[in-house]
Amino acid sequence: MEQPKLIDHLFRHHYGKMVSVLTRIFGLAHIETIEDAVQDVFIKATTSWTHKMPDHPEAWLTQAAKNRVLDIFRKLKTEKKHLPQLSSGVSAIALNELFLDTEVEDSQLRMIFTACHPKLDPRDRIAFALKTVSGFSTKEIASALLTKEDSVKKRIQRARRAIQKKAIPFAIPQGKELPKRNDSVLEVLYLIFNEGFHSNRKDMLVRNDLCGEALRLCQIMLKREVTRSSDGYALLALMCFHAARLDSKVNANNEIIDLMHQDRSLWHFPLVKLGNQAMTKAVEEGVFSAYHYEAAIAAEHLKARSFADTDWEAICTWNEALYKLQPTPSVALNIVMAQIQQGNFEDAHSRLQQIEPADLEQRAYLYYGTYSEYYSMQGKIEKAISCMELALLAVQNDAERAYLERKKKWLLKKVEPST
Amino acid sequence: MKDFMMIFISADYGDLGLSPEEMQTRMGKWFAWNDKMAQQGIVKGGNALTSDVRRVSGKERTVTDITSAELKELVGGYYVVQAKDFDAVQEIAQDYPDYDLGGTVEIREIMVFDQ
Repeated sequence: MEQPKLIDHLFRHHYGKMVSVLTRIFGLAHIETIEDAVQDVFIKATTSWTHKMPDHPEAWLTQAAKNRVLDIFRKLKTEKKHLPQLSSGVSAIALNELFLDTEVEDSQLRMIFTACHPKLDPRDRIAFALKTVSGFSTKEIASALLTKEDSVKKRIQRARRAIQKKAIPFAIPQGKELPKRNDSVLEVLYLIFNEGFHSNRKDMLVRNDLCGEALRLCQIMLKREVTRSSDGYALLALMCFHAARLDSKVNANNEIIDLMHQDRSLWHFPLVKLGNQAMTKAVEEGVFSAYHYEAAIAAEHLKARSFADTDWEAICTWNEALYKLQPTPSVALNIVMAQIQQGNFEDAHSRLQQIEPADLEQRAYLYYGTYSEYYSMQGKIEKAISCMELALLAVQNDAERAYLERKKKWLLKKVEPST
Repeated sequence: MKDFMMIFISADYGDLGLSPEEMQTRMGKWFAWNDKMAQQGIVKGGNALTSDVRRVSGKERTVTDITSAELKELVGGYYVVQAKDFDAVQEIAQDYPDYDLGGTVEIREIMVFDQ
């Protein structure tokens, strides 16, 4: 990695750790002061590291965070709010403890639960989590969430205010509250992962980092007995299976490559293995969530040696089960796709007619794309082309548009000999 | 290898009237010392104590609340470290940052019945 990118990556990685540990010391009430202080550490690091990179940058950052403790303490002291006792050097023993790896994870877990608190607006949760837990800049978050930097800033600000106003505790929930709060965390992790996996931004490092963060945080959730759940394992499996294909999804020119044309030898085997292990644990209790079915579907694709080997019947079954839990038009489209691949055009057609493309919002182009596939698989190429044109009218993302254009060209070539 | 406790006895920084800068320097030294011991892998545990003291003493179980300012010598915390003998711990204790403030490190061996 080039140095600026390495620094960005390190910062993203450490920002959340440092903010979480310092929040544990000073409390959520001071999160703004804390985030400013951590930001400042990074600014200082950037200037001093341009001359010479330290031998152990991670240790450098930890030390810098420790040194910040007293700065923050001094700054807050004038406000005379509830502050920790830092009146002797010996308190360093207690502070040091918080910088140990296991305690850092504990602090991060608390921050994850804070960020995913149901009292925060769902849209604010992701922005706040990406900033505070995962250290993304507002600019990066804006581009990951396809929104403006200003609205990201507003969301983060709103989340911070809600945390203070609603006195959200910096704690891992216990008892009856825990399962519900766990669900809310998994949902946010799922969304973060999807931002990385499905977005088509050029910067692969940020995309990989988004997926990597979701995976890492999910693993932190699974490490602790209290926050462990079969849904969590299923989500981890799902993320591993998807992430294994991350490198084969786009080519060097950032063009989308569909499942049929992906180079299956690029799929990352260790992640598949990790996913399989997680899946084994996920099914132990016999209660299945949407994550279970989505992971099962992803696993079917990985199992197939080639696109032609895909077990569409199994995929159809898993999707039907998923549809019972989540009757969304996207799942319905996936069922249609599997039916088309099996040559079951009758069922595919009646399903397609039940879907209202407007319900798919920004992804309405998928509806027309599927319709196009429905016709082309039956050799009705001209109808397939007109559907593809509708898809092109609906698509909003450049990389996806380029992909549809390529498909249209391919269809046009097929029609040429007969004209 | 045996376990020893290093007990830190000193006055409270605040009560000594240290400036924030001085406190920061000292905290830095404590962090550095802890890191050094952690790298050597000899720390088994440790705790810092707050400066609030309540004493219960005598047949009458007399209760006294004491503020740190009333005590010149206050146990501020301890580390449990693994070492060969007293001499080895004495060596470790050389890096204790607060000798110049009249601080003391008391080294005690942890008793075990394990023959």
